Amino acid sequence: MECKLAVSMMHDYLDDDLPGQQQRDLKEHLLSCPDCRAKFKELEQTDMLLFSLMHQSPGVSDDLVGRIMGALPPSRKERRFITWIKKHPALTAASVFLLVMLMSAVTLWKQDGQLVVKGSDLDQVVIQGDTVIVPSGKRVTGDLTVENGKAQVYGEVNGNVTVIDGSLYQASTAHISGQVKSIDQALSWFWYKVTNMFSDVAYR
Amino acid sequence: MENLEGRLTKLALKGDQRAFAELVELYKDKIYHLGYRMLNNRHEAEDIVQETFLRVYRNLDRYDDNQKFSTWIYRIATNLCIDRLRKRKPTYSLDAELGDQEGTDGYSLIPSDNVTPESELLLSETQRTIYQAIDELPVKYRSVMILRYLQDLSLQEISDVLDMPVTTIKTRVHRGREFLRKKLGPRL
Ligand SMILES: [Zn+2]
Repeated sequence: MECKLAVSMMHDYLDDDLPGQQQRDLKEHLLSCPDCRAKFKELEQTDMLLFSLMHQSPGVSDDLVGRIMGALPPSRKERRFITWIKKHPALTAASVFLLVMLMSAVTLWKQDGQLVVKGSDLDQVVIQGDTVIVPSGKRVTGDLTVENGKAQVYGEVNGNVTVIDGSLYQASTAHISGQVKSIDQALSWFWYKVTNMFSDVAYR
Repeated sequence: MENLEGRLTKLALKGDQRAFAELVELYKDKIYHLGYRMLNNRHEAEDIVQETFLRVYRNLDRYDDNQKFSTWIYRIATNLCIDRLRKRKPTYSLDAELGDQEGTDGYSLIPSDNVTPESELLLSETQRTIYQAIDELPVKYRSVMILRYLQDLSLQEISDVLDMPVTTIKTRVHRGREFLRKKLGPRL
């Protein structure tokens, strides 16, 4: 083997890029060539020194992470909201009003634990304590909404059943033609109210 | 399976600042060391870290998770360093060698850390020789050597970061190592 080729193979070896057979060829050459042996030792030491010494740098400033996070532009969602307000200054007052209103809704949600039953066909429904029952064989026409109570459906409901902060039991005989929704958290309840409010407004 | 960085970028994209802060924690030191070895200056290295993360943040939606996150962030950081080195006046290194800190461009006013007396005391002769030799390497060799030895990247990974053929990377590593061996020669 020529020394020039051996040197090239030394570099490949240090880069973990020399196949097994060639490694053996290189080793054979190194055993017979003192010049290449000396060169290989130097290259290997350079390699080791570079790996060990490159990692020694002064540490980063303690406040660097804070500075990085502080310099970030506002997140996309926030930015969109800000742009929206800028484009609709007249609506800003309205959104503040809406916010205040929603805050009071949360407060109400915390205090108000009474059973509320809403529907257009409540004659078909039996109420026992905090339980609202649609008995077997009965049919409720239209939506049924139960807040702060249990709903037990044995009969038929031709509409949506919504349970807010309560539980729903559907017997095997039950038949609900619309959607069944169970809302347990203040936030979703909130959105339910808001959506309702807006659809109320829309229908008026 | 999705890796940690992939998950964090997705969360950050949804606006989760804590997820982004975690990415910063994971990579700040690596990027800092890269910047420090490339630019040989502490303040500029911190600027690089900051600019890199700002760019990562702005381009989160363009991150392709078929690619390793490390490859992506090293590419951004390396390019920022190379840009900075290009913008430096060619006389800068000469100024520094002559101990001239009164230059007119901003860079000359920032002392290079390796020539401050305190760091001279802390570094061994061998270390200083290596750092000086790295600093003398042309940028195209320096970036390759730093990615190889500081970030422990394979030739293939370096080729992904720099978007160059592996054969080019291989040649540069070989030449760079040869150059450093000659510089270190008497100390080996
Ligand atoms: Zn030989």
